Parts: sequence; structure tokens; C-alpha cells
Amino acid sequence: MIEPSRLASPPRSHWRHQRDRLATGLIAAGGIGVVGAVMAIGAFLAFEVLPALAGGGIDTERLRDALTPMAWGTLKAALGAMVFAIPLALGAAMHSALFMSQRLRSRMKPSLEMMEALPGVVVGFIAGLVLAPWIERHLAGSLALLAILPLGVLLAAASWRRLSVGWRRRLPLSRAGLWLIPWLALLGYASFALSPIVEARLFGGDLRVWLDAELGLDYATRNALIVGLAMGFAVMPSVYALAEDALSGVPSRLGEGAHALGATRWQTLWRVVLPAAAPGIFAAVMIGAGRAVGETMIVLMASGNTALMSLNPFEGMRTMAAGIAVEMPEAVPGSEEYLLLMLAALLLFAFTFLVNTLAEVVRSRLRRRYRWLGGAP
Amino acid sequence: MTIQGKWRWPRACLAALWLSLPASAAADEPVGTLGMVGSDTMAGLMLRWGEQLAARHPGIRLQLQASGSASAPPALAAGTTRIGPMSRPMRDHERTAFIEEHGYPPVELEVARDALVVIVHRHNPLEFLSLAQVDAIFSRTRRCGAERELDRWERLGVETIEGRIELHGRNSASGSYGLFRQRALCGGEYRRRLNEHPGAAAVVAAVTENPEGIGYAGLNHLTPGVKALALEVNGNRYRPDAERVRQGDYPLSRSLYLYANLPPGEALSGPERALLELILSPEGQATVSELGFVALSGEALAQQRRRLGLDTSP
Amino acid sequence: MKRRAVRRLPRSEGPWAWLAAGSVAVSLLMLGGLLLLIAVRGLGHFWPASVALVTLDDGRAIAGRATRELPLVGQEGNERLYFTGNRDFDGHVWEWIPVSAIASQQRPVDLVVLERRRYGDFIGRLVAVGPVGLSVDHPDQEAVWPRLQARLQAQQALRDERDRLVRDTLRPLVQRVDANPGDHDAREALAEVNDKVRALQAGMHGEVAIVESVGGRRLEQPLDEVLRAWRPNAMSPVEKLMAWAQNVWRFLSEGPRDVNATGGVWPAIFGTVLMVLLMSLLVTPFGVLAAVYLNEVAHQGRMTHLVRIAVRNLAGVPSIVYGVFGLGVFVYGIGSSLDEWFFSDALPSPTFGTGGLLWASLTLALLTLPVVIVATEEGLARIPVEQREGALALGATRLETLTRVVLPMAVPAMLTGVILAVARAAGEVAPLMLVGVAKLAPQVPVDGEFPYLHLERKFMHLGYHIYDTAFHGNDVQAAMPVVYATALLLVLVILLLNLTAILLRHYFRARHGVLARQP
Repeated sequence: MIEPSRLASPPRSHWRHQRDRLATGLIAAGGIGVVGAVMAIGAFLAFEVLPALAGGGIDTERLRDALTPMAWGTLKAALGAMVFAIPLALGAAMHSALFMSQRLRSRMKPSLEMMEALPGVVVGFIAGLVLAPWIERHLAGSLALLAILPLGVLLAAASWRRLSVGWRRRLPLSRAGLWLIPWLALLGYASFALSPIVEARLFGGDLRVWLDAELGLDYATRNALIVGLAMGFAVMPSVYALAEDALSGVPSRLGEGAHALGATRWQTLWRVVLPAAAPGIFAAVMIGAGRAVGETMIVLMASGNTALMSLNPFEGMRTMAAGIAVEMPEAVPGSEEYLLLMLAALLLFAFTFLVNTLAEVVRSRLRRRYRWLGGAP
Repeated sequence: MTIQGKWRWPRACLAALWLSLPASAAADEPVGTLGMVGSDTMAGLMLRWGEQLAARHPGIRLQLQASGSASAPPALAAGTTRIGPMSRPMRDHERTAFIEEHGYPPVELEVARDALVVIVHRHNPLEFLSLAQVDAIFSRTRRCGAERELDRWERLGVETIEGRIELHGRNSASGSYGLFRQRALCGGEYRRRLNEHPGAAAVVAAVTENPEGIGYAGLNHLTPGVKALALEVNGNRYRPDAERVRQGDYPLSRSLYLYANLPPGEALSGPERALLELILSPEGQATVSELGFVALSGEALAQQRRRLGLDTSP
Repeated sequence: MKRRAVRRLPRSEGPWAWLAAGSVAVSLLMLGGLLLLIAVRGLGHFWPASVALVTLDDGRAIAGRATRELPLVGQEGNERLYFTGNRDFDGHVWEWIPVSAIASQQRPVDLVVLERRRYGDFIGRLVAVGPVGLSVDHPDQEAVWPRLQARLQAQQALRDERDRLVRDTLRPLVQRVDANPGDHDAREALAEVNDKVRALQAGMHGEVAIVESVGGRRLEQPLDEVLRAWRPNAMSPVEKLMAWAQNVWRFLSEGPRDVNATGGVWPAIFGTVLMVLLMSLLVTPFGVLAAVYLNEVAHQGRMTHLVRIAVRNLAGVPSIVYGVFGLGVFVYGIGSSLDEWFFSDALPSPTFGTGGLLWASLTLALLTLPVVIVATEEGLARIPVEQREGALALGATRLETLTRVVLPMAVPAMLTGVILAVARAAGEVAPLMLVGVAKLAPQVPVDGEFPYLHLERKFMHLGYHIYDTAFHGNDVQAAMPVVYATALLLVLVILLLNLTAILLRHYFRARHGVLARQP
């Protein structure tokens, strides 16, 4: 295999080295240029907005008036999304990192990656035009589902313990993510079929009227619940992927030690693996929050775009991203409206950049720690 | 309107086209490209007119840049386009800019009528609202003189629908938002509770699904899923039907315009003349009603044709 | 020992482990439900559904397709929404009917659906076909239907001939006359062609079909406005399947009609593909350049580490912020300057100073740059240091090592990055709304006019088509099927792209083994 290297003659070698230096220089210049161009985004927004802000180009009163509901709505929407996404994503990550077989996991990850790739405009369309009116008509059933699904899983777990050994082998916990699906679908169907009866008994026939009369809660068709559900669906896969990476990256020695001492897998996870991976999970949640804050199309189509500032989960909101998308094309450059939207963009940029940097720093620390602990990757 | 009435126009114009065929002399056949810049509300209308024009005169092509009514006046003033469709009349400063540039005012042509309609769910028993009531429902300033705000259906005397009134409207950049605010809210502020939808069709869809909803949308977006309300002004009730909108009695009606750059005393160019001839013909006006707007009255048509020096007997 | 562990009874793990498993199930259920919904509704749209003849309690009859059913407000029972067509009669195409008011329902085979160029679909019965003004004294039901089909085919042939004449002969002549108004030969030739076109159109105008709604109202329908006709209740399942396939093809290959509410999405497919192509042409070299710089050239110090973190972060910056950047820098900044320098005669109507294909591609290239950089860097980092050292030891310069050894090995990673970038860009809508997508672009950005590719033109996009049709059309209910079908198409395209990227990455990992160096 070893061939003698054909060394070029000195003058040619000189030219080669010159060329090499030149090319390296060009690559460096180009690379710095590209990286600089990417970074220019923040600089551009700051240059557009800050001078006007400092020079009094914007009426602060109006600014507060327009921006506060938008900021409030952005946070409310992101919070709603995280309420849905975090339990689902972290649960799924724990299950797939610790309980699933390697084979199943290698199938599971890509299919959830596909979920991440679903365009926001499609999710938003389904949420705003299909799901929102449907949930409004089946509110009791939908809310009941929030309680019924976990209870159904626990019920399945309890009956699983009573099963014969053969059945328990056939339906192992490591595949529960799959064989629970039909059972949960059945529960969902039952919940919607039975909810009108319950609604008639407990809430006088219409839960929405009851909410309004008893609790003073207004129900808007497009509300934080819908946005949270849809955006949680969109954000969940990325949180899952990062959290799963963090969990499965924990050096296996730690877990094996706990197992040897007689801990169950869940105890190992809770006491040993989770504390070790906590920074990674924190980073995953932060990155998810960053995505939820900036998601545009879902909010635009499912939020109702109402400039309300309320805590009521059944009312809509207006977010910065959606506001920019709707109003920006009509805004005259340099006008107050334009500056205001630019400011909103700058805030979005700054917020997501900070959150992501924090997450990234935490993650790289974590990686170093794993390596120090002697884990594989 | 009877079927006969609706179908008289297309048939008449087909016959007219048939008759006019041999008469068209080969030499003065209009040829060229008509560029237009303006309203997006009228984009569908302009495109349909373009198709019909191409059928009448295969040599003419229409190029449309529909980026909003506000884009028409500067393009007209600078002379980049000679025809600009607009869904609102030109404002004073826009007109002044045009006159400063050219020394004469642009020709304003009314080409169709349109209206904003207040809509509720199809099962809502409400039939009409006064303008002050509309203001009290949609606005937090109540400039039109209502004494108290209306935020629940019970207060309007509606028994079958319970709960808070849910408001649906357009986003603040749209022309409808401004028009409704100016005419129905007496220039006041919208309530914060308003759902600001990015399109009129979305407003109609939202009210269709939402029994507690009320909203406003253009006439051409109405479907049987919603019910259009009559409006009461000074004790008279006006339904948003074609006749009321045409006459302008319905308080939220408006005109759609075409502005043309035509120096006084000069004749229209061939393609322009062909286009305006089409728009102001029964065939062109049939397209207006086909797309859900309201066609102009015969009188208004004849008047506009006279102003352009077109043959007044179509 | 391992064997015994397997034989042992599975141990109970407590409730939390089960809840974790449940969250996997719920996620998969939601994903599957969403995909199923889009697939069923999107594909169902093309099926030629049967038409029901509904007689109401009050004796009124309507014909239409049942679309949805909702509970009545404030009363017991349901109401059903029928698509009844015939907008020229009723002014609308929908009818809400309380289910309790329906006396009887039939599916008579003689119901005809006409797809028309104006006023949308007609649903009713066919009475006669013939020249304008024909009498309908003794309609012969059986002979009329084949006759209509034959006449429609003849019409289609005439239409094709006219379109060909206009495209091949008339347009070039018009351009000649436009360029040189004194060209008499061209003018005469033009007049001749015009007469030919007119004669063809006159031939098309002459024929009508007399149709009757189930309510008994008659209409003389000019045949040149009828695109297709079918009798859904008389079709066998095989015929329906063929019609379904044909409809799918028409959806993919035709342009939209009726303000996007019907017709196909060809211009949107074209626009999406063209924009994504341009974007990948822009993003690939720059992304690879930056990755090579960061991984191979730059000193691996604190600064590079920070830059790397920043680049990764930019992948998390909301897409709408990129849209604002594109609008402010590309459209209003660079575009306006370009207009002032090169297109000043067209001002104030902007050429590049408004959103367009070029700016949209550039914005999305910027948006996806971090994706490509990260993926390429990952690929570069996986290449064992020994490879580089070996090349260098054999006397290669750094450039040679890079181009002959390192880059070829990193090609799959770059490809993965570009495919992921394309998948992300194809689904991104928010930034496009600011930098150049159009609701309806009658002219595609590529045509026979110099310079053939018109970078300044606006274009249509599948994702924006969904948003626009669902919110800005005339009638959301009527546009829903198109929205579902477009959503299905977009999801399929994106899933396919992602699947390719995943497989590629898989293959690549299998070939090069585990990580050699951590970035």
C-alpha cells in the first residue's frame, strides 16, 4: 500500500505553497465574511431601532401601549406551548433513552424528527381552522382528556401487573409506547362520546356557559389552549431530541452501578441519570422555549390576534412574531409603525439569542463533564 | 332578481360580440401591453377583466401589480402606469402630487360598488342593529353616542344565544379596518377583545363556526354560513342588498375606482380604450356581480362613458 | 448471565415509568392523527363524490354533496351543509339544511355536474345540447349525454388550437408591432391571425347546453365556458378511480382558478422549487466555506468556540426575524439602491426595491446557513485526524489535503446539510410574506422573454398558498379541499426530503464509524 510520495521539484513546491497560503487566506476571508454576514442580523436590527429610540423617534407612550400586549401574548403563548411540550417531550425522552430497545429507538427518533419537520403553516391551519372550532364544540371532552389519558395509562399499568407472565413478555414496558396507542385512542373516543352526558349532569348542558356564569371565564374560539397544543406539538420534537441526547449521553457506568445495587430502572433514572443530565435537559427546555417564542405561522393562524392581557387560558393573544408578519408588509419604512415592528423583531432576536446561548454554554459544559466522567461520546 | 335578469347581460354581450366581429377593421386593431399598479381587493376583478379583454382583442395583454391601493397614486403621478385600480378614493395629498407632476387632475372612474357588511352566525335571531349599537359592540370609546357598552347577547335582547359577544374583524393594516373604524365607530378605538383576522374570508369562517360571534367583511365574502344584518340610520333600516349598495344608502357602502392619467382633450390609446369599453359595458359589469360586488347603475355607466367619450349606447 | 437476566420476570417499574411510556404513545398518536387527517382530506378532495337529490318537508328539492354536519345552535338535532353549486341562480354555493327537514334522499343517475369557468360548478339535469336558440320540445335524455361529451371534446380541440395560435403566432407578432409600430407586414399578419383567433372563438361561442336545476330553473349554458362534465351517480368505482387519478394530475399540472379556491397549484409548485433551488445554489458554497474555515483553518481557540456557539444559536433565531432583516437590508436597502442605479427609468414603481424571487432566496439562504454550517462541520469533525496527517505526511499541502482528502469524505455530510436546509426552507412561510411571495402571480418567474429568469418577480409558494387560500380567499369553506390537498403535497415533499437526509446520514455514520473528534 505504501507508495513513495512524489515530491515536487522545489520551484513547483514554492508555487504550491504560495497557492496554499493564498487559498487558506481566501477561505479564512470567506469564512469570516459568511459568519459576519450571519451575525449582521443583530447589528442591523440594533442600528435601525436604537438611534430612533434614543433620539425620541418613537412616542414612548404609544410604544408601551402597543408593545406590552404583544410581549405579554408572546410569553403567554410560549408558556402554553411549554406546558404541553415539556411533559410529553421529557417523558418520551426518558422512556426512549432508558426503556426502549436500541432497535425501536433508532426507529423512534427519526419519526419524531419528521414531526419536527412538519411546516408551521400546516400545523397552524389544522389548529386554527379545524381543531379550534372542533374543540369549542367538544370542550368538555377535550378537557376531560387531559385527565383521562394519564389515568388510562396508569390503569393499563395496574392491569399489566395482573397479567400472566406470557402476556407480560408479549407486551413489555419497552414497547409500551406502541401498544398503548390503540388503548389511548379508544379512551379518547370514549371521552368524546360520553362527555355530553357528563356535561349535561354537571354543567347544565354547556361547559362554556357554565365557565362564563360560574367562573367568569370567557371562551374564545382561538385561544391560548389551542395555541399551546399546536405549538407544543411543534416544539416537542426538538425538546425531545435534545433531552434524549442528554439522557443517553450519561456514562453507562453510573447507571450500571445503580442497577447492581438493586435499583429499578426508574429509580436509576430518577436518582442517578437525571441529576447527571439535568443541565442538558434544562438546555433542551430553553431551546424549546426559544422556538416557541419565535414561532409565527401557528400563532398567526390559531391565536385570534387579540391584543388582550389576561391570564385566562381560554382567551386569545397577540404575539410579536405574528404582529410582525401581518403588519410589516404594509408598514412604510421609517414610520413609527415600522420602527415599532423593528423593535419587536430586535426583542425577539435578543431574547432567543440569549436563551440559546445560555443553553449552548450549558450543553458544552455538560459534554465536557461526560467526557471527564469517562462516558462513550 | 330573476334568472332572466341575471342572464340577460352575458347573453346580450355574446350577441354583441358576435355582431361586432365583421365590423372590426384590421388596421386599428388595438395591440399592446397594459400595465396596472394598485389595489389587491380588485385583483380578482382586474384579472377577470383581463381574460375577457384577451378574448375580445387577442393582441392586448394585461399586466397587474396588485400590492395595495396605496401603491397606485405614486405610480400614476410618476407616469409608470397610466391606469391605477383603487378600492378607496384618492386622498387630497395624492391628488395634489399628481397635479403637481402633470398639471391636470387624474380621471376618476367608478367601476363597481362594494360594502362592508356586519355579520352574525346564521342561527342568530338578530335582524338589524343601529349604527350606535354597532359602535357600542365594537368600540371602547363609543363615539357614535351609545350610552352603555354592549358586550353580552342578552343585552341586545337575543335569547337563544348566551354569553359574551365575540368580536371578529380585520388586522390594522387593512383598508376595511380603517373604513369600518371611520364609518361605524365614528373614528373611535376598537375594543381590545377584537379578534384581528388577517383576511376577510377568515372573519366569515370564524363567525360561521362561532354562534356568539359578530364581525364585518366585504360583500363578496358572504356565505350562507353567516347572516348579514341590516343597519339602522335615523330610523331607516337598510339591508346590504345590491340596490341599497348601488344607491349608497347602506351606510358602509363604498366605490371601487379606476384612476386614469388622461390629459384633457386627448383621446385614449387603443388598448386603454378597449379596456374601459369592456369595464363599462354590460359584459364587464356582469363580471362585477359574478365576483360578488355590485354592478353600477345604468345611469352611472352612461355618465362615465360620456365623460370618456365612449359610445353611450352599448 | 445475560441469558438469565432475560429469562427473569420483567420487573415492575412504578407509575412514572408508565407515564413516560404514555407520553410516547400520545405523541405518536397526535402525529399519526394529524398525518391521517391531512392524507384523508387531501386525497378525498379528488374523488368524484356522488350527488344527492334531497327533497325537503316543504317540497323544495336541492341537489348537492353533503360536506359536513354540525349540531344546531339552541335546538336538538343536527344540520347538514350541502355543496349545491349554481352560484348564478342562488348567489351562493352552499345550503345549510336541518337534518330533520329532509323528507327523502335519492341518487338519480341523470344528475350532471358541470365544471365551469364562471360561477363555479353547476349541478342539475341536462336537457339539450345545440346551437344558440335551439328548441327543447322533445328532449331525448339518452342521446344528449354522449352528444355533450362529444361537443365538449370538440370545444377542447378548438380551445387548444386557439391557445397554440396565440402562443406561437400571435404573441411574437405583437412583440414585433410593439417594438416597431410602423412595421406594416407585421400589422397585416397580425390582423390576419386576429381574425383567425376570432373565428375560432366565434365557433366556440355558438353552442349552448340547456340545463335545468332540480328546482326546475332553466339556463342556457354556453359550452365554451364548460371545462368538464360528469355524472357522478352513474360512474362505476373503476371510472371514479380513473377520474380521481385524472383530478390529481390536473391539480398538480394546472394553475389556480377562482381566486385560488379551485384549480391546481402548478405555479406554486414551480415557485417553491425554483426558490429552493436558487437558495441551495446560494447556501451550499457559503455554508461549506464557513464550515471549512471554522473547522480546518481557524485557530481552535476561545474565539472560534464562541463563533461556533453563535452560529449554532442563529439556527434558533425565529424565521420572522430573518424576514425583517431581508426586508430591511435586501429589499429596502440593496434593492432600492439597485433601482436607483440601474432601473431609474421605472421609478417610483420598484423593480428590485420590492419583494421578489432573488430576495426571498437570499433571505432563506441566510436562514438555512447555520443548518448547512453545523451539518458540514459535524461531517468534517468525524473525519479521523489520521487521514489529514497521512496526507500531510505524504507531502500534500493544506489545500491539497483539503480538496483531495477531507472534502470528498465530507460530501455526504454536506449533502445532508443541504437537504435539511431545503426541507426547512420549503416549509418556511413567515419570512416569505415579507420578502416576495405573492398570492397570485400570473407570470411565472421563468419565461421566453429575455433574460428568461426574472429574479425581481414575485412568485407563488405552496406554504403561502395554504395560508392565503385559508384566510384571504373569497370563501374558506369552498377552498378547504384545496388547502388540504396543498398541505398534503407540502408535507409529502418535506417528509421525503427529510427521509433522504436521515437515510444519507445513517449511511454515512455506518461508513465512517463513531466520532473521531468532538467539535
